[in-house]
Amino acid sequence: MDELDPVIHAQARLRVVAALSTLREGDQLAFPRLQEILGMTAGNLSVHLRKLEDAGYVSVVKTHSGRTPTTLLCLSRRGRFAFDEYTAAVRALLDGPQ
Amino acid sequence: MGEDDDTPFSAADTLKLIEEQRSTTARSLTPDPRLLYWPWGIAWLIGFGLLFLRYGPDNRILVDMPAWLPLSTLYALMIVAFVVSGVAGARVARHVSGASSITGALYGWTWFLGFGGFSALAIRLSPHLSNEWTGLLWGAGSVGVVGLMYLNGGAIWRTRDLFTLGLWITAINIAGIIAGPGWHSLVISLGAGASMIITGTMAHLKPGRWF
Repeated sequence: MDELDPVIHAQARLRVVAALSTLREGDQLAFPRLQEILGMTAGNLSVHLRKLEDAGYVSVVKTHSGRTPTTLLCLSRRGRFAFDEYTAAVRALLDGPQ
Repeated sequence: MGEDDDTPFSAADTLKLIEEQRSTTARSLTPDPRLLYWPWGIAWLIGFGLLFLRYGPDNRILVDMPAWLPLSTLYALMIVAFVVSGVAGARVARHVSGASSITGALYGWTWFLGFGGFSALAIRLSPHLSNEWTGLLWGAGSVGVVGLMYLNGGAIWRTRDLFTLGLWITAINIAGIIAGPGWHSLVISLGAGASMIITGTMAHLKPGRWF
């Protein structure tokens, strides 16, 4: 049996990845909006994003919107793939051994 | 297992969590369909309703009122609808950047340009037409533009329901045009006006399938 990806397999990080998975390829979500949607504190979300970024699953782009610094987030290709794999693995566990 | 809680892992719960989070996120990032569709439905129900009552089939006046009232009402309500739906669409797009934003912005501009182009023609022609034909020109033309925008929207975002709505509006618009002034207003008021209200309601109750 495959091990469930430990990076994703933590409720908070799973939620982050699930939320970002709804974005279309090529789109990014601003940090404050993601924070609002997830209902996490900024600090808490930053910690989880850092771990996901270190694993190469999330791209974090720091940019400017006019003069305001903004952080834009999205799943990387690898992150999308990892999420798909994770979901498939969980589903397989649900279906159970034959 | 999960770092953040001590409850035992449940595959079913995990899948449910994923589904819920995805659905909550999608809903936050999609405009409220009631704001997108109801204003148009109301504008058409009332505006075309008045047009029908004042300029009925075969030039009959069903309910007397000033000649300018129906079209002015229709247009005032449509401007409100344009602004409300436009703002609702733009607001949500604010926090997402990337390819979608560009598409959304261009689509928004297309609404302006579409109505602009049509209005220029209608303004030019109206002085040469009697009241009932002016009513048909503006009425069928505006509805035509909206139908076209929904067809395009369905194509751009590959949303079957939006495309179907555009198809329906276009089809009844054509049917109404063929039937003539008077009947056109009735068909749009009830057929399209009511459809828009139903669409807004359904999309609100069953998010995910629409837009």
